[in-house]
Amino acid sequence: MAKGLPKSFKKALWVYHCNSGSCNGCDIEIIAALCPRYDVERFGIKLVGTPRHADVLLVTGPVTRQMADKVKRIYEQMPDPKAVICVGNCGNTGDVFYESYNLVGPINEIIPVDVHVVGCPPRPEAIINAVAKAWTKLETLEAKK
Amino acid sequence: MSKKLSPEEIVKYFKDEFKTKIKDVQVRKKSAGSKKKESYSIWMNIDKSIFKPFVKHLCDLQFPHLAVTSGNDLGKTIELIYHFTLGYGTRFGEIVLNVSVELPKSKPEIETICDYIPGALVTEREKQEMLGVKIVGIPDTRRLFLPDDFPEGVYPWRRDETGLEKLYKNLHEVKK
Amino acid sequence: MKQKTTTKTSYHIPIGPIHPALKEPVYFEFEIDGERIVDVDVKLGHVHRGIEWASRKRNPIQILYLAERVCGICSYSHPAAFTLAVEDAAGIEIPERAEYLRVIQGELERICSHTLWAGVAAHEIGFDTVLYFTWEIRERALDLTEYLTGNRVTKAIMTIGGIRRDITKDMLPTVTKHLNYLKDNFEKLRHAFLDDKTVKIRSQNVGILTKEDALKLCAVGPTTRASGVKKDVRVDTSYFAYGDLDVDYMTPDVLTGEINGDVYDRIIVRLLEVKQSIDLIEQCLDKMPSGDIIAEPKPAKLLSQLKKASGEGVGRHEAPRGEVIHYVKLNENEDAPYTWKIRAPTYNNILPWIPMLKGEQIADIPIVAASTDPCMSCTNRVAIVQDNNKYELTKEELHRLSIEKTRRLMKQ
Repeated sequence: MAKGLPKSFKKALWVYHCNSGSCNGCDIEIIAALCPRYDVERFGIKLVGTPRHADVLLVTGPVTRQMADKVKRIYEQMPDPKAVICVGNCGNTGDVFYESYNLVGPINEIIPVDVHVVGCPPRPEAIINAVAKAWTKLETLEAKK
Repeated sequence: MSKKLSPEEIVKYFKDEFKTKIKDVQVRKKSAGSKKKESYSIWMNIDKSIFKPFVKHLCDLQFPHLAVTSGNDLGKTIELIYHFTLGYGTRFGEIVLNVSVELPKSKPEIETICDYIPGALVTEREKQEMLGVKIVGIPDTRRLFLPDDFPEGVYPWRRDETGLEKLYKNLHEVKK
Repeated sequence: MKQKTTTKTSYHIPIGPIHPALKEPVYFEFEIDGERIVDVDVKLGHVHRGIEWASRKRNPIQILYLAERVCGICSYSHPAAFTLAVEDAAGIEIPERAEYLRVIQGELERICSHTLWAGVAAHEIGFDTVLYFTWEIRERALDLTEYLTGNRVTKAIMTIGGIRRDITKDMLPTVTKHLNYLKDNFEKLRHAFLDDKTVKIRSQNVGILTKEDALKLCAVGPTTRASGVKKDVRVDTSYFAYGDLDVDYMTPDVLTGEINGDVYDRIIVRLLEVKQSIDLIEQCLDKMPSGDIIAEPKPAKLLSQLKKASGEGVGRHEAPRGEVIHYVKLNENEDAPYTWKIRAPTYNNILPWIPMLKGEQIADIPIVAASTDPCMSCTNRVAIVQDNNKYELTKEELHRLSIEKTRRLMKQ
């Protein structure tokens, strides 16, 4: 777990997942994180169905041209304070799809990203670690106010 | 389901009907496993003028399974290859039939086979946008995979001036 | 008195591209009349990454890693079909032990994929407990995958001319332990799905695909086998080591004796295939001959051999979702193949959505779309425009509609 976390979470994080054209490898590891083996629900982290209820956005995939404005709209619909996690190598630098005619750039050219998770696909433990880091960032943002 | 056919029978059935319009017939045999059971595939090249009667003749023999159509840009011509399979439902009796048709680049048109095989719609739409082939009589002419704002007249699979030479983006590069 | 004129018009609902129960983001447009669906239109292309074009600058061994990432769940099937196509074009012979090992890896992937699907389908009906239960079983199958190949999802175990890792004698006890766990829990899985009254009510006579439609639209995989069409590349063609093993077509009449072509039949076909896969892995472990596992172990020599080869080849494999076909054309003295065409099984299973969804209710859309095994839950916004009021249904509400229907039916 990240340093500086108190023993109990002050509030539970609600997470929203968006697939911007990925191969689904990262998506199944995100759902595997919710299942009894890794079980993030014991921390209160829950997958919600709409960005308006969410605190953290998990984006996967290299952004295809058709999905670029949709990812932007989802980001704008989330209320502040929010954090964005980019899961998988595709969103970071393109991975194997580094040159293509239908992809518009790594995710941080479209929306600002807070935590990058490396891996193809990253293990569920790495994804939980990333959500915990986003949690510390949100707590520091709250404390600054 | 379907009765078992041998590859020689199939080749003879088409050659009897279309005679010289079928060229370059090749029958390949492959064996796999310890018991070396065999599987066959037939490759043939047909003339564009007999394409639709050929497909009708094939459907009369046995309703085929159209797997996919692939395309090649060969310089002056565009070659479309239709991959059919016959004999599914019989144990180790399926034969893959690969039929290639060449179209001149000055007039890349071919008839649709959606009236015989409705499942061909998806793959025909893909050829229209990727290679610039015009499929005459297709029920749905919209783009399939490319976005609607992709420039007209650019065909990603072609290797000439209508292909993508400058249009791709490198996600890996570091902006200074 | 005011004259009231009412005209009956049909509404158009767009769903997608971010949508529940779909493999790729896909855009649907439904034309509905009340609660019944009248017509369906499908629009694709949101995950188009230009993979076939990207292969023009890579040699065949680099393309293997690109082919794996076409889909994360069938990440073994695409390299398998690609190597079959290259071996067909270049005329490479594979050792016998490699063929048996390839069957084992393919069937293991089928178990992981079908249990994943079973969990997602249960979630769409409203049984979250069954989702967690099936994915726990899946975790044990993934443990076995990790033990044999080193990774859970993208395994990179296939190579041209053979396979990269062997199963040695000291690995056999762990493998048998995992297989026994899967065999013992299969009965619980079958009981949770097939004997449950609510699952039967929600899935019988829903989303029917008739045999003629399945034939004409060239559907593949469990979708078409559930409608009674016997199409399975493992039984139709002899490739890898399937010619030596005892494989047969899995149609619903093996279990129940009749074929309806609805969602319940597709659940039956997939569960029967899980049992068949466990059985096939055990047959392979018994019959595997000894020997090499790869025809040419040095990559540099393999690449120069492929550079001299020329020809065309077609490779077909039975992925968990259906038939995968790859076409490769190699030219002499060129590193990269001239053409590479991929056809994933879902593309043939998209046209069958139209006859399946016509006449169904809106609350049945998630389970019918999920029954042909597309993939993950992403999210969705459904907008219904009625006169001048705009209602927006989020994924939660669509899901809630699906669960409420279950509760309503349970009360009857």
